[in-house]
Amino acid sequence: MTNLTSSFIKLASITFVSILLLACESSTDAPSSNLDYSKNYPVESGGTLVSAMTAEPSGLISMIAGESASSEITANIFNSLLKYDKNLELEGDLVKSWEISADQKTINFKLRPNLKWADNKPITSADVLFTWQAVTDEKTASPYASDFQLVKKAETPDALTFSVTYDQAYAPALDSWAGLQILPKHLLEGQDLHTTAFARKPVGSHYYKLDSWTHSEHLKLSRNANSVLGQARIDQLITRIIPDNSAQFLELMADNIDLMGLDPIKYSRIIPARPELLQKLALYKELGNSYTYMGFNLKHKPFDDVRVRRAINYAIDKQEIIDGVYLGLGINIASPYKPGTRWSNPALTPYPYNPAKARALLKESGFEDNNGDGILERDGKPFAFEIVTNQNKEREKSAVLIQRRLKEVGIDVKIRAIEWASFISRFIKTGDFDVVVLGWGLGLDPDQYNIWHSSQQAPGQFNFIGYNNPTVDKLLEQGRLELNSDKRMKIYHEFARVLLEDSPIIYLSAGYGLTAIHKRVKGIDNPAPPAGIGHNSQDWYIPQPLRRNEISQ
Amino acid sequence: MLIGISLISFLIMHLAPGDVTSNEAAFNPKTSEESRQKLREMYNLDKPIIVQYGLWLKRMATMDFGKSFASHQKPVFWQTTDKDGNVTKGLIQEALPITLMINLLGLAITLILAIPLGIIAARRYLGWQDRSITLFNFLGFSIPGFWLSLLLMYWLGVVNNWFPISGLHSLNYESLDTWSKIKDSLSHLFLPVIIPSITGLAGITLFVKNGMLDVLHQDYITTARAKGLNERKVIYTHALRNALLPLITIIGLSIPGLIGGSVIAETIFAIPGMGKLFYDAVLMRDFPVVMGILTIGSALTLIGNLLADVMYAWADPRVRRGVAKG
Repeated sequence: MTNLTSSFIKLASITFVSILLLACESSTDAPSSNLDYSKNYPVESGGTLVSAMTAEPSGLISMIAGESASSEITANIFNSLLKYDKNLELEGDLVKSWEISADQKTINFKLRPNLKWADNKPITSADVLFTWQAVTDEKTASPYASDFQLVKKAETPDALTFSVTYDQAYAPALDSWAGLQILPKHLLEGQDLHTTAFARKPVGSHYYKLDSWTHSEHLKLSRNANSVLGQARIDQLITRIIPDNSAQFLELMADNIDLMGLDPIKYSRIIPARPELLQKLALYKELGNSYTYMGFNLKHKPFDDVRVRRAINYAIDKQEIIDGVYLGLGINIASPYKPGTRWSNPALTPYPYNPAKARALLKESGFEDNNGDGILERDGKPFAFEIVTNQNKEREKSAVLIQRRLKEVGIDVKIRAIEWASFISRFIKTGDFDVVVLGWGLGLDPDQYNIWHSSQQAPGQFNFIGYNNPTVDKLLEQGRLELNSDKRMKIYHEFARVLLEDSPIIYLSAGYGLTAIHKRVKGIDNPAPPAGIGHNSQDWYIPQPLRRNEISQ
Repeated sequence: MLIGISLISFLIMHLAPGDVTSNEAAFNPKTSEESRQKLREMYNLDKPIIVQYGLWLKRMATMDFGKSFASHQKPVFWQTTDKDGNVTKGLIQEALPITLMINLLGLAITLILAIPLGIIAARRYLGWQDRSITLFNFLGFSIPGFWLSLLLMYWLGVVNNWFPISGLHSLNYESLDTWSKIKDSLSHLFLPVIIPSITGLAGITLFVKNGMLDVLHQDYITTARAKGLNERKVIYTHALRNALLPLITIIGLSIPGLIGGSVIAETIFAIPGMGKLFYDAVLMRDFPVVMGILTIGSALTLIGNLLADVMYAWADPRVRRGVAKG
């Protein structure tokens, strides 16, 4: 009988081994590891760049989709009227030039001549007008419509001219036109943008066009022969959809993808500790346009008292958060703008860590520990509050460090981390919170009216902390009316100064965006210019000897 | 029954705070509350819950599962064709076959391994074979699946480059010939299929072993041995069939899992299956998708349980007689 049982085992193991062998055979060959990636190679076109992202785009009309997965792909397919250059100054994308009228209310855009869509139809001002009509249409629920609804009149005097007139000068207008991707009228007229099949097989004008989209697996883009800005160097862009970050990293290590965004641990611990990875991966860091902050509910006591807010600001050690949570890959900021850009006020310095000053300020505002339990009281009530944040590891860790530092000055803090949709509807929309730890991801225009103006406090609007400062209101209104960059800069410098003094939020950190790119990809600017490493991705190239050999089509 | 399930799931889903407009992309200061309101109107989310349920039931009456809120209004269940002949595949239509295939393969492998292992363990009860099988099972049972997955992905995919790490197909899948396509699919399926089988092996082996032990102590086995039947016949003809009966129940119970898939495994291996679809839909508050999966899932589960009962009757004459007596 042992015969029989052992034959079972034999059978099973034979099946296994054969499956194993079968699979081994089909594995792809990576280029041999003795290639020297650091050598200089001449510039040449061709090759394939494989990257990965965690979520699949819902569709490829970014004004409808609204999520970052979608705009990452559409940025390669569609052009806007304007774009930002490497130093974050505006330049023409589809347009050759633009002029602003003397009263600052009208902008005239002149399109480049002889532009073509990927399907060879000409691009004219009618397409631009159509796109504007689409985004402002009653039936379109575009999250980005509000900027364009301010346009009183849009006209196309001829096929290459598009002009818009606003009721009053609107400084963020140019930035908004750099964000609106122009869609082809001839393919979309009369269609419902929310359901059209165009969102899955778009036709655009930029460096690449969509070749195929395998549901939940990958999107393949190839060079668009009609690209309005000339030809990109890399032939094919493949974006794989890999939801799990660890799996993505394994794919990167196995040389199956060329590029991925990293977290601080991978960037500063895991990769540097492995010579075989350092040999083939290049690491890049760039400042993003975002920051993490701790925001007070200014309608709740005692956060209406500026002394209390400043005291808490002094009591928190931001460098400790940057070092502990972001492993040093962030910077301490003093204004809500990306450091190093024109809008960030260089004269401002962040609140230093100074617990003595924090204690003094708290005492001044009436808080004292009368019962000796280590927690301050005012009017018999202990100073205790809850920090609410969404389930984001960095934010949770930051909250824990804050909790400890505030305990040291006598404030009792509890932490609650909650799933995003619940967080928004239960705490943010209702205003039923004391303190939040959150982040802002911002556009490139300095206008932050939606976040700080006192009129933006209704449920669902973004001034949910209830900030109300007439000086700031006025500055924000002026900033919107001023199209002269230098004058505008002064307005926002002043705005940032008032904000820092008032301390309605505490800037915790502006983290770096971290990327690893395989060294086979050449032509990347390092260190990154203000616009980030991706600004010249059309000039990246992969020399022939370094290309993968498994993808041949 | 289905109406009850749908009503409960509808209420629970709508009691959860937030709707499709409260996702993270909507938390961009460039976006406006008016546009979110417009979306809510478009999807009837501004109406009272009971009206929304009525609308949903009305559509369901015509087997229309509606369209997803979150993924460019893809149909939830089955493909639709628009007037220009563009076919849009349904979300469940795409995800269900993948999940079913992986889980059925996994179940098959589990059974193929568990039955012999259980028999050996019962035959050599308390011997070294039994002990090592028990130890192996304990290990398989206690190791977290995602951890084992990552380790195996690292060892088989990165260190040795024997198996693909994630995904369902290679990037050049379209250009392969049929034989290579099959090999490609199999190698991609290997890890996602084998890992849940290893972790699921423990329970089933134990079931087979205990069933076997019970049966081997029955009088009729002693009788069979006494009349001089060879051991092979005793085990495989008389004992095994009876020992396997409880397995039918286990398989019946595992049907919801076969359809539902696993979020963690599907996420790690980048497999677009039902688990991931459902999880994302809940996070996005994509009500039609959640409702569609729950309804179709419960319908399939009911059918599965019915099948398990029928199989029971087929396998066990005693059950059959009970049915006949009514």
